[in-house]
Amino acid sequence: MELNIIVNKKAYTFEVEPSDSLLDILREKLNLTGTKNGCKQGHCGACTVVVNGKAVKSCITKARKLENANIVTIEGISSDFSLHAIQEAFIEATGVQCGFCTPGYIMELYALFNANPEVGKEDINKALEKHLCRCTGYKPIVQSAMLAQQKIRKE
Amino acid sequence: MKLYGKVVGTNIPRADAKEKVTGTALFIDDLRFPRTLIMKVLRAKVPHAIINSINIDNAEKMPGVHKVFTGKSLGLDKNHLFGTCIFDQPPIAIDKVRHAGEVIAVVIAETESQALVAIKEIDVNLEELPFVLDAIEAADPNAPLIHEQNGNYRHVPTFVPIPKSNVFYMYQLKKGDHEEVFKDAEIIVEDEFEYPLMNHAAIEPHGAIARWDHTGDIHVWSSSQAPFVLREVLSDYFDIKQMTKLHIHIPYLGGGFGGKSDYTIEPLVTLAAKLVPGYHVKFVLTRKEVFIGSVLGRGMKGFMKLGAKSDGTLVGIEATQYYSDGAYGDTGCNVVLAGGHNCVGPYYFPNCNLKSFGVYTNSTPVGAFRGYGHPEGQFMVERLIDKIALKLDMNPNQLRMKNFLQHGDTNSLGQIVTRHNGDIRKCFTQTVAKLNETSLPPEDEEYFYGRAVVGLIKSPVQTANASSTVFLKFNEDLTVNISIGGVEMGQGCLTVLAQIASQTLHIPVERIRINYEINTQLTPYEWQTVASMTTMRVGNAIIIACEEAIKKFKTNAAEVWNCSLNDIVYNGTRVSYQDKTLSLKELVLGYQYPDGHTLGNPILSTGSSVVRNVTFPDLETGQYQPYEWTYGSQGVDLKINKTTGKISILHFVTALDAGKIINPALAEGQITGGVMQGIGQALKEKIEYDESGNMITTNLRKYAIPRLSDMPEKYSCIFIETPQPDGPFGARPIAEHPAIGPPSVILNAIQRATGISLTSIPVTTERMLELLRNGGE
Ligand code: FES
Ligand code: FES
Repeated sequence: MELNIIVNKKAYTFEVEPSDSLLDILREKLNLTGTKNGCKQGHCGACTVVVNGKAVKSCITKARKLENANIVTIEGISSDFSLHAIQEAFIEATGVQCGFCTPGYIMELYALFNANPEVGKEDINKALEKHLCRCTGYKPIVQSAMLAQQKIRKE
Repeated sequence: MKLYGKVVGTNIPRADAKEKVTGTALFIDDLRFPRTLIMKVLRAKVPHAIINSINIDNAEKMPGVHKVFTGKSLGLDKNHLFGTCIFDQPPIAIDKVRHAGEVIAVVIAETESQALVAIKEIDVNLEELPFVLDAIEAADPNAPLIHEQNGNYRHVPTFVPIPKSNVFYMYQLKKGDHEEVFKDAEIIVEDEFEYPLMNHAAIEPHGAIARWDHTGDIHVWSSSQAPFVLREVLSDYFDIKQMTKLHIHIPYLGGGFGGKSDYTIEPLVTLAAKLVPGYHVKFVLTRKEVFIGSVLGRGMKGFMKLGAKSDGTLVGIEATQYYSDGAYGDTGCNVVLAGGHNCVGPYYFPNCNLKSFGVYTNSTPVGAFRGYGHPEGQFMVERLIDKIALKLDMNPNQLRMKNFLQHGDTNSLGQIVTRHNGDIRKCFTQTVAKLNETSLPPEDEEYFYGRAVVGLIKSPVQTANASSTVFLKFNEDLTVNISIGGVEMGQGCLTVLAQIASQTLHIPVERIRINYEINTQLTPYEWQTVASMTTMRVGNAIIIACEEAIKKFKTNAAEVWNCSLNDIVYNGTRVSYQDKTLSLKELVLGYQYPDGHTLGNPILSTGSSVVRNVTFPDLETGQYQPYEWTYGSQGVDLKINKTTGKISILHFVTALDAGKIINPALAEGQITGGVMQGIGQALKEKIEYDESGNMITTNLRKYAIPRLSDMPEKYSCIFIETPQPDGPFGARPIAEHPAIGPPSVILNAIQRATGISLTSIPVTTERMLELLRNGGE
């Protein structure tokens, strides 16, 4: 099938199989390797990107559902040489260790805070619960999310 | 000498954080090369079998396929094997299959889907053999023999096998009266324990890319913690005469935890690439393959017996541990050794008789896992110490305080404990005090509440001449590049090492770059990034290189001033002698006079650090000198839901005598991460097999690692700082340590809350509920 999508504000047309995953399209067709493959089974959240404003696991999002979708990946959220507030927060609150889960978390929060910067702690935790991190023990990630929200509110 | 800033001990941001939050940090699967082929493998799916035949004719004809091979199609010699301690492993099954995840055929194709289609065309004829997964059963002389050649394999002298059995290594430690260990005992406690097989479950799967050039040079990119071990293994196996031909490159690692140390898939990928010279062959494991086709961790069944006097003084310990090491033993043997002697924990026992067996089984091979033998044995000793306390009706905390190793004691290995080894009593009392800040609620209608505290000890297990080396160069603008061979896998070495360099050179940390482009051709030698030793061993090498650089600035100035080196003072911006000064900029490339002629040399230095006084184990007593150790203590408050069985961690405290904390925030991140892994082991994680010998827990749902909702309501981290005399700024290893105590401390707390005594993990919600219903096992 022919697929028209917008990725990080640029329009693309691809010839794909309907069952191709968004993860493969991003990583293999566009070389957007910031989106990570941790399991390809929908279990870890490392592949999370934002599709039409919603955080989705790109490994289980099929091409057939993507016609005209507007997609944002980790490569699309910082402008020029300045970082997005969520990225800054992950640095400052030590939410990064190996960094393999990081883009997924950041995109999850990007969708969450874009939809509602005032979202409550419980909803933040619910969003973070979808992801696995084997390095941090989660506390630094929760702290990064809180700090990110503070920063976004101030903006 | 005035110290610059005091950057050691402060929370500077991670050096690699910007790359990682923007998605620019490159991991193995992110690397892109021209002429890349994809490799996929066929695995045995039966745990133990003779390979009658594998027909690859049809697969070879499939579109896009470049090569298909099996061990036999390549004519591999079944006696030509790789390893580091016991050479017992082929890169691909040759005549025999030893675990269900073992690779029996390989396809190299243009694309992944073409490779997968071709795999389906391979015809396999295997003759199944009886198999064994349990280490104790496998150690029985009548068990199916997994390696007929056991006993004939090349091995280093330490690791003595028992031929014609599945035991590839037996370690024994004898101390004091090892024949009558309990002659002074007034009470004895004993039990059997199980610490199941587990998976490291780093979120990044393993991967490797290999290319053989027509020049004979070999390039391997790998998600490995051990580039130089890999170089050694590959050059030995492929008989590469010159290491200058082998280029091992390491990108960032998305977590390691020991699962990416030693080697896993690299010999096979390198073998595959040899068949298609000039091409890059890329092999990245699926999540399922990480479980069945890399390495597992732990897997210990054991028995332990402690004797004490009626006042609680420990007098003897006996233990036998069986390590289920899977199809190949090389990556397991040092774990068996470490588990063997570290099961005594941080306690003084005059008499020890300890045995541990490394046993071949028909599971995926087992190797290093954060903690390296320590969690297994200390799980047993800490559970039994609580048992003694119950039996003697003694406060378990006082019982521990009474028996902790102290200055002047001889530990199980024969090392004399000194004050500089750290203060376990301080760790312990501060853990107790931290928990006591909140009182534990009494049992109510809904919950049981439990609290417990344990001690811990960990020594880095490393080869007797483990070393780290670094190159340092000063640039003209007084920025500094330092090349290291240590691997950044999340632990934060690039940051911490820059702090050490900054403070030694007295220059701002922003001006220091720890280079991270590991390539064994360019990078100085590093044994491997394991055993929590990077801060310490590479840190020491960096200090030496920095001091050498300072000396070279002074040497340049001494030539100009014609004075003695010792009279010159360096302060990070200039050197001075009496009333004369020269800025470092004027000296960094040597000193140039106005007429152009130049004295001295550009500033370039090296540093190295080798562990000292480490010996091999004595074959008779098992005693030896490993490196020194780190003490710690962990405590927990938990509650158990009476109707659901769910165990929630209310507060988890870790205290470590870290010697010196270089970066508190990064150190705390190691603690919270390690504790969470330990909690996962205590409450959730276990590798399971079905009756056919195939693994069931092959994804991150079935093998459930902790999620955010499993996090303790509160973590506390306490760092005691008794300086390690030979550590950089007094630092000692801390990274694996927080994963050691959780299983024992949680099971002790469960027993105190409910009276139910457990000796195996994990204690899942379902299991706990069952136990509550039945009042025990
Ligand atoms: S890679 Fe998509 S959820 Fe794990
Ligand atoms: S930082 Fe390594 S998995 Fe999250």
